[in-house]
Amino acid sequence: MKNLSYVLLGLTILLFSFTACEKETSKYGQFSLEFDNKVGSDAVTLSAEGSTDYPFSTQMSQKFNLQKLGYYVSRIELTGPNGETYSDEVTTGATAAEVNGFYQVLESDANSQSITLKNVPVGTYNKITFTLGVEADYVQDGATGGVLDPANGGWLWNWDSGYIFYKMEGTSPASTRADNTFRFHIGGWKEIAGNVSLTNNVKRITLDFPTNAEVTESSDLEAHIIMNLLAVLDGHHAVDFSTTNMVMSPAAGADIAHSLEDAFMVHGIHGN
Amino acid sequence: MSFIYSKKSRYPISYLLIGCVGLLFGMTACQEDKITTAKEPYKFVAPSNFPEPTYTFYNNEITKEGFELGKKLFFDPILSVDESTSCSSCHKQSFSFADLPSNPFSIGISGLVGTRNAPSLANLAFMQEFFWDGGVTHLDFVPINAIENPVEMGEGIAAVIAKIKNAPEYPALFQAAFKTTEINMPLLMDALAQFMLLMVSNHSKYDAHLQGEANLTEQELKGLRLFDEHCEHCHAGILFTNQAYFNNGIDSVFSDSGRARISANPLDIGKFKVPSLRNVAVTAPYMHNAKFFTLEEVLEHYSDGLVNSATLASELIQANGNLGIPLSASEKEAIIAFLKTLTDHEFLNNPIFFEK
Repeated sequence: MKNLSYVLLGLTILLFSFTACEKETSKYGQFSLEFDNKVGSDAVTLSAEGSTDYPFSTQMSQKFNLQKLGYYVSRIELTGPNGETYSDEVTTGATAAEVNGFYQVLESDANSQSITLKNVPVGTYNKITFTLGVEADYVQDGATGGVLDPANGGWLWNWDSGYIFYKMEGTSPASTRADNTFRFHIGGWKEIAGNVSLTNNVKRITLDFPTNAEVTESSDLEAHIIMNLLAVLDGHHAVDFSTTNMVMSPAAGADIAHSLEDAFMVHGIHGN
Repeated sequence: MSFIYSKKSRYPISYLLIGCVGLLFGMTACQEDKITTAKEPYKFVAPSNFPEPTYTFYNNEITKEGFELGKKLFFDPILSVDESTSCSSCHKQSFSFADLPSNPFSIGISGLVGTRNAPSLANLAFMQEFFWDGGVTHLDFVPINAIENPVEMGEGIAAVIAKIKNAPEYPALFQAAFKTTEINMPLLMDALAQFMLLMVSNHSKYDAHLQGEANLTEQELKGLRLFDEHCEHCHAGILFTNQAYFNNGIDSVFSDSGRARISANPLDIGKFKVPSLRNVAVTAPYMHNAKFFTLEEVLEHYSDGLVNSATLASELIQANGNLGIPLSASEKEAIIAFLKTLTDHEFLNNPIFFEK
C-alpha cells in the first residue's frame, strides 16, 4: 500500500510539474499582515535607555518601561474554509536575495511591522499560521543572510547557536538588578529524541480571523495582528521582575515561550 | 541518539526518488537547461570509510576561490578588534590546528587568556556539534564564537564585516568566490568553512594499516587491541569519537559546567565532548582544562587518577566499585604507541593549508 502511495505521489508531482509550466490560469491577489504590539489596551511606546519613566504596569502592580521589543516570524500560511491554502516561500542562503519568508518585526521600525504576502490564490481565508522563531531545518542550513545576518541586526546566539526569536528589554523599579533592567531573550530550537533537557521554544501559532478575508485580484486586505505583552507578563507564568529579570537561555525562556503561544490574536481584517 | 535536526532520513528514499524523477522530467520538458559551470577541483571527498559528512555542502560548495579566500581570512588578524589575533594564532597546522603546547589556554587580544584548551580542527566536516560543550551545531556558526569572544578576538561581527568591506583586497576576492558584490557574515563564514572543511585527516599510519599499505608493529597492535577493549567505547569509530558528552573524572567540582551549560540538565554537569584522537600525539595538552601535558599523564589519569563525582561516566567505574581502567605500565606504553600511529604527517605538512 505504501509503495502505491509513493507511486501516486510521484505521478502527482509529474503531473503538477507539467501543469506548472503551462500558461497560468489561476488568479492571485495580495494580503498584508500588520503586527501591532500592545500592553493590554495601550499602544507600546519605547523609552530611551536609562529612562525612569514607567508608562506600564503588570498585574502584580510592577511598573515598567520598554526599550527594545521585537520577534522573528517565519513560514507564514493562510488557509480557508473551502480548502484554500497559501504558503509563503521560505528559503535560506548567504545573500539577502536568497533569504525569503523570515521577518524580523521590530517595535523600533514601523516598516518591519507590515508584511505583504504576494501571489495569494484568490479565495476565502479564515486562518493564519506562522512560526514564532526559526525552525531547526533553517538553523541547520548554516549561516544565513538578510534579517538573519547578525552583522545586519540579526539576533544570533553564538554560544548555543540559533536565533533569539523574541526580545523584550526595559526597566522596572521592581527589578533587583543594579540598573533595574530586565532583558528577556527567548530562543532555543534543539530537540534530541529521548533527551528532554534541550529546550525547543519555537512555536507554531494558528490564529482565527474574526471575519473571513475574501482575497481577489484587486483586493488589498490586511490582518491586524495584536501581540499583547501582558499575555507574556501576566499569562501562563506571571513574571515577577524581582526574580525574573535576565532570561538568556533556552531552558530559562521556556515559561515565557509558553505564554507567547497565547500573546497573538487577529483583531480584525481591514481594507488598506 | 537520533537528532531531529538532522537533515537526513526524514523521508523514505523511494518517496524522494519518485518525486525527484517526476519533478526533473517535468522541468526538463518545458524549461531551458540550466548550464552549471565546472568548478575548480577543490572538491570535498569524504574518505570511503568515514561517516557521511554533516556539513551542508548543498549551500556552500567548495571552490578554489572560496577556499583561498577562507585561508586568507584564517590567517588575517583583521578579524580581531586590535588586529592582533587571527584564527591561525591559536590553530596551528603542525599541531593539527590546535594551539601550541606552551599555550594550554590560548592567548587572545591584549594577552587575555581563555578558559578551555583550543581543539584540533581536523575532520570538522564530520562533526555534529562543536566546542567542548557542543553548543554549536553547524560549522558556519563556529568562527563567530572566537571573533566575538572578549578574550579571543573581541570584535563585533558587524565591525568585522565593515573592515573587510573597506580592505582594498577583499571585495574582489569575495566577488570571485561567491559571484556577488555582497559581503556579509554568512559569506565570511562560508569562506572560512570552505578552508576548514578540506582539513580531512585520514593519512596516518593507522589508516595505511587499514588499507593494507603499512604494518603496525607488535607493540602498536597490542596497543590497538587494548584500545579497542578499554577506550573505543567513547573514542569510537574511524573519527575516534562517539561525539557524546562524558564526565571523565577530572574534577569533583566544576567551575566550567560543560554540557550542562547547553542542556541546563544537572546530569550533564562536568560532561565534555569526547574529542577525536586523530593526531592526538601532537595536540597536547589534553582535556578541556588542559590538565595533562603528556599522553603518559592521560593514561595514568584513566588508570589511577580519576576523581569521583555525581556525573562520573559509569563506563569508568569497575564492577567492584573501583574507579578507572585497570592498565599495567606496559599496557599503557602499548596504547600510547598505538595512539602515535594516528598522527597524519601528510595532513600536518599539507602545503594546501600554508599561508601564502
